[in-house]
Amino acid sequence: MLILLWGITEESPLAAVHSELTSLGIPSVFLDQRDILDTEIELSVGNILDLPVQGQIRTWYQKIDLSEITAAYLRPYDSRRLPQIAQAGVNSPAWQHAIAVDDTLMSWSEMTPAFVINRPSAMAANGSKPYQLEQIRSLGFKVPETLVTTDPEAVRSFWKLHGDIIYKSISGIRSKVSRVGIEHLERLDNVSWCPTQFQQYIPGRDYRVHVVGTEIFASEVISQADDYRYAAENDESTEIRACHLPEEVEQQCRVLAKAINLPLCGIDLRRTPGGDWYCFEVNPSPGFTYYQQFTGQPISTAIANLLAGKNRI
Amino acid sequence: MLVIVASRHDKAAEALVANWAAHGHSVSLLTPEDLSVVGWRHYLSSIDVGDRGESTTSSTSFSSAVVGGVAISTTGCANALDQITGVLTRLPSIFEQELLHIVPDDRAYIATEMNAFLIAWLSSLKCPVLNRPTPTYLLGPAWRPEQWVYAAAQLGIPVRPVRRQSSMSANVCAQVLEKSSVKVTVVGDRCLGEVEKTLASHARRIADAAEVDLLTVHFSSSESPAEFLGADLWTDISAPDVGDAILEYLSGGDAKC
Repeated sequence: MLILLWGITEESPLAAVHSELTSLGIPSVFLDQRDILDTEIELSVGNILDLPVQGQIRTWYQKIDLSEITAAYLRPYDSRRLPQIAQAGVNSPAWQHAIAVDDTLMSWSEMTPAFVINRPSAMAANGSKPYQLEQIRSLGFKVPETLVTTDPEAVRSFWKLHGDIIYKSISGIRSKVSRVGIEHLERLDNVSWCPTQFQQYIPGRDYRVHVVGTEIFASEVISQADDYRYAAENDESTEIRACHLPEEVEQQCRVLAKAINLPLCGIDLRRTPGGDWYCFEVNPSPGFTYYQQFTGQPISTAIANLLAGKNRI
Repeated sequence: MLVIVASRHDKAAEALVANWAAHGHSVSLLTPEDLSVVGWRHYLSSIDVGDRGESTTSSTSFSSAVVGGVAISTTGCANALDQITGVLTRLPSIFEQELLHIVPDDRAYIATEMNAFLIAWLSSLKCPVLNRPTPTYLLGPAWRPEQWVYAAAQLGIPVRPVRRQSSMSANVCAQVLEKSSVKVTVVGDRCLGEVEKTLASHARRIADAAEVDLLTVHFSSSESPAEFLGADLWTDISAPDVGDAILEYLSGGDAKC
């Protein structure tokens, strides 16, 4: 057994899982992206019938045979954004090397028989929110009424119909969820330049559910902000505490994670005052340590165990 | 109405539109500029009543689109998108270079948003779509050369191995793409190309593995045991037989290999 971790060593979720693997005595190797200029990588496909994917990574201090990797936890940044690469400049040899290393590892992660958290192709649905929302809806969760439009009149009708609506980006580019207000009326015509996503505002309490294989870790989020991730910016407080979900909701989360091929994910739910559960989004690379520090839930231990072969669906 | 999603610079797509129109088909080009026109309405709801999963809470909750600068409007209570009977996608993704009508500072973001929208919109259509997009790519799965070879090898098809390496210190030769000697274009159940039946069958199986119905597959020769070299989701639609096969597919034809 050998676990590959790829990313930045100090990045909180990776560091937490690395620490757990070490504590549990599970063999692991860490590929630190900051060693990118010193990283050499090779990938071969189709040479040997019973070992179709072979590869090797070499850095100044280690050599990793990719066929020995049994599981991988991937949280890479775009290597082009690393200081040494950005400084080298666009299309410099360093820049091209960074792209090549990233792409080769991404390619390997799609083909390897190793257990991967998470395969990039499975994560990609989060890059189109309405696409992912349709996935979520088709798997039985309630989702907010959603309109993507270039038509200001359609927005007005939608707003009138639902009384309270929010807007947010369609792609994976992180944008703050904002409530549409009177101040937006004069800017509404701007939607004609690009399809823009609006959703019915769903009142209620937020929940973040981390699915780790068969395990479920639910957190209740107490915040007055429209988007609790940005509560501090508006001097609004956020309290997060561990909780239990109804069994059927837990099961729905497991079914959803399995169906979209994400053994680890963070599912964003909201429970309405009437007791309905809505699902907004599935985060394929959750920053679980933010919740773990509040709740004390052993999420990093669960991920380490999942990588080691336990609790897999 | 048939729709070809393409860049406004795509001459082959333009020619195909003209050709199909000349033969009496209703066909239009949908370009990135169409996404900056009033008229797009894409609804998603928990209330799964209509076959498009649209809400019936409002009579205005019917999705609509803009093709060739013209909004496709509803006729009576019919859904506007039902007028679209088939789609050929020629855009791998929306590139910011296409969006000259958007201020430069916003182009990258708008391109990303439009791309994310098209993935959802094309995926929601009930008509034939060549190919259905994936979240990674508008043309289908964004497989790298290694992944195509891997998929073929998994199917037991003889393959030409591929190898890539990257190093800042070692002298690494740039990857040279194999020159195809023979190609087979899969369009639905049709396989176009002068190859043995076995290779045509291999090509269709690779398309099945990728879950696509439009694919160009490259082999080292026209006879077994030819090696699989690679595959392209970007197909040469200027070849008359390919254009005809696509038209037949989008029109509901079921010609076999």
